[in-house]
Amino acid sequence: MEVLSVVLAAALAIAIPALATAWAQSRIGPAIAASMAEKPELSTTAVLMIAIPETMVILGFVVAVLILFRTA
Amino acid sequence: MILAMSKVRILGPRLRLNQVLGSLQRIGVLQLATPTEPASLATLALTPGQQRERRYLKAALEDIAVAMEELGLAASTFEGPAPVPLARPGEGTGVRYVRVASRARRQAVRLKIRETALEEERALILKYQGFFAAFRPLLENEARWPNASIYHVLLKADQAGVIERLHASLSQVIGDAFELYSRHLESGETAVLLIVSAQGAGRVERLMAEAQVQEIPVPSGYGDGSLSDVFPRMLARLGELPGDLDAVRRERAALARKYGKDLRAGREWLASRLQALEALTLSGVTARAFVIEGWVPSDARRKLEIRLRAEVGEEIVVSEISREEWRSEEAPVVLKNPRIFRPFEAIIGLMPLPRYGTIDPTPFVAVFFPAFFGIIMGDIGYGLLLAAVGLLLHWRSKPGTTLRSVAEIIGPCALFSIIAGVLYGELFGDLGRRWLGLQPLAFNREEALIPFLLLALGLGIVHVLLGLVLGVVSAMRRRHPREAVGRGASAVAVVLIIVALLAVTKVLPRGLFTPAVIGVLVAFPVLVIAEGIIAPIELLSTLGNILSYARIMALGVASVMLAVVANRMVGAIGSAAVGIVFALIFHLVNFAIGMFSPTIHALRLHYVEFFGKFYSPGGVRYQPFGGWKLHDTTAQRHDGMTA
Repeated sequence: MEVLSVVLAAALAIAIPALATAWAQSRIGPAIAASMAEKPELSTTAVLMIAIPETMVILGFVVAVLILFRTA
Repeated sequence: MILAMSKVRILGPRLRLNQVLGSLQRIGVLQLATPTEPASLATLALTPGQQRERRYLKAALEDIAVAMEELGLAASTFEGPAPVPLARPGEGTGVRYVRVASRARRQAVRLKIRETALEEERALILKYQGFFAAFRPLLENEARWPNASIYHVLLKADQAGVIERLHASLSQVIGDAFELYSRHLESGETAVLLIVSAQGAGRVERLMAEAQVQEIPVPSGYGDGSLSDVFPRMLARLGELPGDLDAVRRERAALARKYGKDLRAGREWLASRLQALEALTLSGVTARAFVIEGWVPSDARRKLEIRLRAEVGEEIVVSEISREEWRSEEAPVVLKNPRIFRPFEAIIGLMPLPRYGTIDPTPFVAVFFPAFFGIIMGDIGYGLLLAAVGLLLHWRSKPGTTLRSVAEIIGPCALFSIIAGVLYGELFGDLGRRWLGLQPLAFNREEALIPFLLLALGLGIVHVLLGLVLGVVSAMRRRHPREAVGRGASAVAVVLIIVALLAVTKVLPRGLFTPAVIGVLVAFPVLVIAEGIIAPIELLSTLGNILSYARIMALGVASVMLAVVANRMVGAIGSAAVGIVFALIFHLVNFAIGMFSPTIHALRLHYVEFFGKFYSPGGVRYQPFGGWKLHDTTAQRHDGMTA
């Protein structure tokens, strides 16, 4: 039971930020694509805007790893 | 680094103004600025003739730009134009270029219009092709309804509901005096054929307009008759269109060959002439004298003076305006780095230039960007593939282009990937370990996740602290002592917090915990005094920036895991041959991801986490009078001047 809880916690730690990242990128992607169509010089901003929400899933992944390793 | 600039003032007799401007254009190191002294100085205005000439030149340059765009001639940078004298160009070279530009634009645009029309015609016929295929039996019997009006409609995928509404409205308005057929097409659209008695046609058209349904009319240009009469002629035309389009493309290629050389040469000549005219308006004059001011790289100033005097004479006085008389923000910026770092200026080029007097981060980017990339990719096999891609790009690119810079950035990235691959013992994932007995020299990324995480955070600490230290230097250079103290206090606070954390986790002696906490408590008020009430949030944000470097570990682990999964496909899927094919495809996909993902994240770590600590954007690019290719020819011209 305890193992199940730990695995579930690790899964949620990465799944929830992954959903949040996906949602954020789904909003940012079209907006920045539309902006770049008018102003191609915004490519740097586009890279940053797309990469910023990924921090959530990356930190989620780190937390999941820590949960699993701490238990192991 | 950002090249040191000097502001110079050139004085001389007014009669020599044109000669001096001609020399300056030839020398090509001075960026002109509006004279500031004395206040009574009048700015030279262009004569009506010169104004007219300027308009012609601008129009001709626009013609050339349009013609080159339409003819597919690469918009390459100017190759150091031959400066032209300030006298009128007369009926010679300039007029010929203006005529060529106008003729080339006219012909290129005519071809473009023709090509667009042919492509539109093809798209239209293809639309009808779907429609005709859906209703072929009905359309072939159009003669059955001699007194009916027939409407052909294509509905988009999201307009499917319109049919029911249209049907209901038609029943209401004209009863059962209509027939409506619909078919779904492969394109996702819905083809609708509506047959209505001639009496009800007017009302039906109003209804269609209200429902925002547009009819596709029987196209003109294919003779008279119904759609079924016209369609065979349209199909025949569809067969001819590729040949017509090819003819247009061949004609365009011929035009590009015919005008290409003249357009490039004309662009340089006309731009040079325009620049010379516009330089006049930046000159200050009195009744007998002129004043020109401008920016020149400091170590080229003396040579500029010597060459100018040699070309014009001893009556010309070149003096340096003292540093106290101008602000850093006014000075133009030119980056000059050793050859090995220069490709990385392309990464800085994606941001606004740094301000004069601040720090050029190119050398730091040149070290950390490939390092981060390599640590994430970290595979000997992928590193070798990347090196091959870099060599291919290098071979296919021309010097001075962005593609060449990319190729030259790929080189160090591949090298770092191979080095990291040796440290992790990875060659296409675990293949090297299984086949060649390759062992990790540092740690195995598949298992040692915590050491990898610590390495990533350690890199983050070093990178962010370096950013804060550069922030101190930058603030001191700009004479902002308060900001410098704030950045310094932040750096100290970050170090002390890390020491305290390491002491708590017993990585460092426990006794360091209390001094570290006391240090933080001392640094904190200094921080608040120097940077204001927002300082605690900034400090938290800096700690968050360090945590952000965990992405190096996360992406690295994802990369190796994907490679391992690819290798395991060989035994997991049916026959070995199928497994090998799948494994190769998977490795290829992983390699493609491995090229883009580390690039984007390494860029982000630089732009957000690192630059945020010291970078001051807003620099004005150095554009010397007579110089076009800023990065290369400026450096070359500048080298030539200082040699």
